[in-house]
Amino acid sequence: MTRMTCNTAAVMNVVLTGVGGQGVLTLADMMARSAMFDGHNVRVGEIHGMAQRGGHVICTVRIGPCAMGPIIDPGGAQLILGFEPIETLREIHLVAPEGLVILNSHVQMPVAVSMGQIDYPKRESVLALIRKFTSNILEFDASDLAKTAGTGGSLNMVLFGAAIASGLTPISRDSALKSVRDSFPGKFEEMNVRAFNLGYSMVKDKLDY
Amino acid sequence: MDLLQTEAGKTMLLLGNEAIARGVLESGVRLVAVYPGTPSSEIGNNLTAMAPHIPNFYFEFSTNEKVAMEVAGAAAIAGVRSLMVCKGPGLNVAADPFLSLAYIGVRAGMVVLVADDPSMWSSQNENDSRFYALMANIPMLEPSDPSEAKSMLLQAYDISEQLEIPVLFRTSTRVNHSRSPVDLGPIRERPDKVQFIKDPFRFVPIPSVAYKRHAWLLGQMEKALEVSESTPLNFSSGSGILGIITSGVAYNYAFEALSTMNVEAEVLKLGLTHPIPQHMISEFLQHHRTVIVVEELEPFLETQVRRVAQLKGMTVDILGKDQGYFSRTYEYSPRIVIETLSKILNRKTPIDWGAIDGKVREIPPLPPRPPLLCPGCPHRATYYAIRAATRGKAIYPSDIGCYTLSIAPPLETADILFDMGSSITTACGIAQVTGQDVIATIGDSTFFASGLPGIVNAVYNKHPICVVILDNCTTAMTGHQPHPGTGLTGMQEKVTPLDIADVCRGLGVQYVRTVKPFDSMVDLVAEVRQMVAWTRERKQPSVLVSREPCAILTAAERSRSGELLQPYHVDTIVCNGCKRCLTRYSCPAMYFDPDSGKAVIDETLCNICGTCVAVCPQGAIRKGEQ
Repeated sequence: MTRMTCNTAAVMNVVLTGVGGQGVLTLADMMARSAMFDGHNVRVGEIHGMAQRGGHVICTVRIGPCAMGPIIDPGGAQLILGFEPIETLREIHLVAPEGLVILNSHVQMPVAVSMGQIDYPKRESVLALIRKFTSNILEFDASDLAKTAGTGGSLNMVLFGAAIASGLTPISRDSALKSVRDSFPGKFEEMNVRAFNLGYSMVKDKLDY
Repeated sequence: MDLLQTEAGKTMLLLGNEAIARGVLESGVRLVAVYPGTPSSEIGNNLTAMAPHIPNFYFEFSTNEKVAMEVAGAAAIAGVRSLMVCKGPGLNVAADPFLSLAYIGVRAGMVVLVADDPSMWSSQNENDSRFYALMANIPMLEPSDPSEAKSMLLQAYDISEQLEIPVLFRTSTRVNHSRSPVDLGPIRERPDKVQFIKDPFRFVPIPSVAYKRHAWLLGQMEKALEVSESTPLNFSSGSGILGIITSGVAYNYAFEALSTMNVEAEVLKLGLTHPIPQHMISEFLQHHRTVIVVEELEPFLETQVRRVAQLKGMTVDILGKDQGYFSRTYEYSPRIVIETLSKILNRKTPIDWGAIDGKVREIPPLPPRPPLLCPGCPHRATYYAIRAATRGKAIYPSDIGCYTLSIAPPLETADILFDMGSSITTACGIAQVTGQDVIATIGDSTFFASGLPGIVNAVYNKHPICVVILDNCTTAMTGHQPHPGTGLTGMQEKVTPLDIADVCRGLGVQYVRTVKPFDSMVDLVAEVRQMVAWTRERKQPSVLVSREPCAILTAAERSRSGELLQPYHVDTIVCNGCKRCLTRYSCPAMYFDPDSGKAVIDETLCNICGTCVAVCPQGAIRKGEQ
C-alpha cells in the first residue's frame, strides 16, 4: 500500500456549484472522463435525488494519484465553477487561499425571494463576500454566452471551456473537446462545442488581459 | 448500455451504483429484485435498461422491499444467485423475511444490498443498517469506493455460497454516488431454469425446524469468523505506534487525513465487518498503545473492538465515539478525521479551519434554495386545491415521495410522516381521536408499495378519512422507475396496468373519483370539498385519484416529439403586482421583477401546465406570444 506516502496536496480539487437543472452533474462527469483520457486518476462526488427539483446542487471533481474519497474540505478547492451567484457564495468556504472562482453572473431567483421572504443580495456584495476568501474571481454572464452558442442549456459547456482555459486542471483542451463531442449527439454536438469555445475564449482573453 | 460490454480489462469511470450493476453481471446473478430508493436507485435503473439484452436474467421492480426480499430469497433457495436491493429504511420493511432467511439459508449465493444515507441527503433517518447483520447473524461486507463495490460483490457471492446464508452488502451514499475508475472483469454465464428440490424441514421454519436452525446458523457464523480472519478483505497497511481501525467510506478519509498530516500509523481496513476478525483485531490491539476507530454513524466497529479488548483483558486505549472524539451523526470528511487526530496527537490542523469558519459567519443569511416541486408539477395544482378547499385547516398526513416537498410554504400540506404508506394509517389514528377533517396524500408508487393495507384498514374499521392519491404515472423521486400502475415491467415488457381507482373500489372504498389536476382549478377545488363533505356525513374513507404525468416526463416527451406549445406570459398592463401567484402558488418558474413591479414567467423554466392562469385574480396570465 503505497498510498501512505501519498501527497494529498498534489490533488487538483474542483467544486461545481449551482441549481438543479443547470447541468452540474453532467459537467462533473465529463470533466472526470476527460481527465481519464489524459491518464489521470479521478474521483467525483455527487448528490442525487433532489438534483432535478430546483434545489442547490454541488459536485466535486478530484484529479490526481492520491485522490481517494469524493469530499473536498473547506479551503481545499483550487477551482470553483459557480453556475449561479448565491450558489457560489454558499460553497465559497471550499475555495483554497487564492484559488480561482469562475462565476456565472446570471441570477436564478429562488422562490423565497419571489415570495418576498428575503432579498437577493446585490452583485457588489456577493463579489465583496467572495473576495474575503479569494481575490481571484473571473465573473461573466455564462448563461448569455450559452444562448449565443444556441441554447441556454449549454451553460455547463461554457463553464467547462472556462475551466480548461484557466489552466488549473491537468485536462488538455483536446480531451475536453473529445468528451463534449462524445456526450452530445447530432445537432447538439456543434452547439455544445460552440459553447465550450466561447467559455474558453472568454477566460483566455480575461487571463491574457 | 456501456456496462454490457464484454471487453474485460477495460477501465471505465463508473458511479458506485453502475459499478455494482456491472458486478451483478460479473457475478452471474440470475435474478434481481429491487424497490427503488436513493441512494441505491441507479442500480435498478442500470439493470432494467440491460435486462432485456441479457440471456437468462430476470429483473423486477418489486412492489416493496419485503416483496423483493422474498422473491430474491426464494430464487436463491431454488438454486440461482440472486440480489435484493433497497435503501436503509427499506431493510426495515424487509426485516421479517431477512431474519427468516438467515435461519433457513440459501442454496445459491444471495446478497442483500442496503444503501445507508449518512447526513440524510434523501432519507427520513440515517439509521445504521449494520445492526441488522448483528441481529440476523448474517455476514456483512462494506465497500469503500465504486471499484471495491464491484470486486467485493463477487466475493460476497462466494462467501454466501460457502456459508449457505445470505450476505448483507452495506454501502453508503458516498460509495453509491461517487465516480471512480473501475476495471471490468469477465461477465459470468447464468443458468437457465433450475429445479426446485423440496426440503420442507429446512425451508419451512415451523418451531421444531427453527429450533434446530438457530443452532445451525450460529455454527455457520463460527465458519464466517474463520473467513473473516483469513479474507484479504480485512487487511492492515502502514506502520506506527498509532493504530487506526476503519471501514467503508471512512477508510478514504482516514487515509487522506494521515497523508495530509504526515502521521505514521498502521491502518486496519475491515471489508468484512460482521463477524469482525477477533484474532486479527486482538493482534492489532497488542501492537499499539492507542487505537482510533474511524467509522460513520453508530459505534458499531468500536463496540466490537472494545468487546475483543475486554475478552482478552487488554488495557489499550480505544478512542472513538464513546469518549466523544467522533460524532454519531452525519457523514464524515477528511477534515473531521484530521481534527480528531490533531486533538488526540496535540497538533495544529494543516489548514486553519477556524479562520475559514469565522469568515463564513460573516456571510449574511443567503436566500435558501431547498428542493421544490418542479415547474409544471401536477402535485402543486392538487395541493393548491386541497389547501383552498379546506382553507388550510384540515390535517394533512403526508407520505414518502416528491410530494413531501409540499411541507414548504406556501402549500404547507404535510403535517405528519413516519414511513412509506403512513399517510393513510396516520390519518386513521388522527381522525379517530380528533374529529378534524383529515386529508392524506400519497403517491402512486407508494400507494402500491405500502398503501393497500392502510386502505383496507380504513374501509373495514370505518375511519372517516379522505385520501388523495397523487398519480403521476411513475416513481418520480427516485428517477422514474415503473410500478404496477404504469404498464411497464422491470424487464421492459408492456403489461396491463393496475388501475388505482379500480383497486380502491375492489378494496371496498365507497367513494372513489378520478380528476385531472390541470383541467380546471375551480372543479378541482369543488371535488375536494365534495369529498370532505361525503366523508363527514358517511364517516367512511373516500378516495380522490388526481392523475397527471410527472412534469419531467411531460417535458421529455415534448422534447422527443418536437411538439411546440404556446408559452404563458404575464400581461404587464393587467398585472397589478399583487404577488398572489408568488405567495400562494409559488411556481419556481415565476418571479417578481422589482423594476417593473410585476410578476414574470421565466419561459426557460415554465413547463406550460397553465395552472397559474386560474391563480391570478386579475386574469393577467395569458397563453401565446407576448
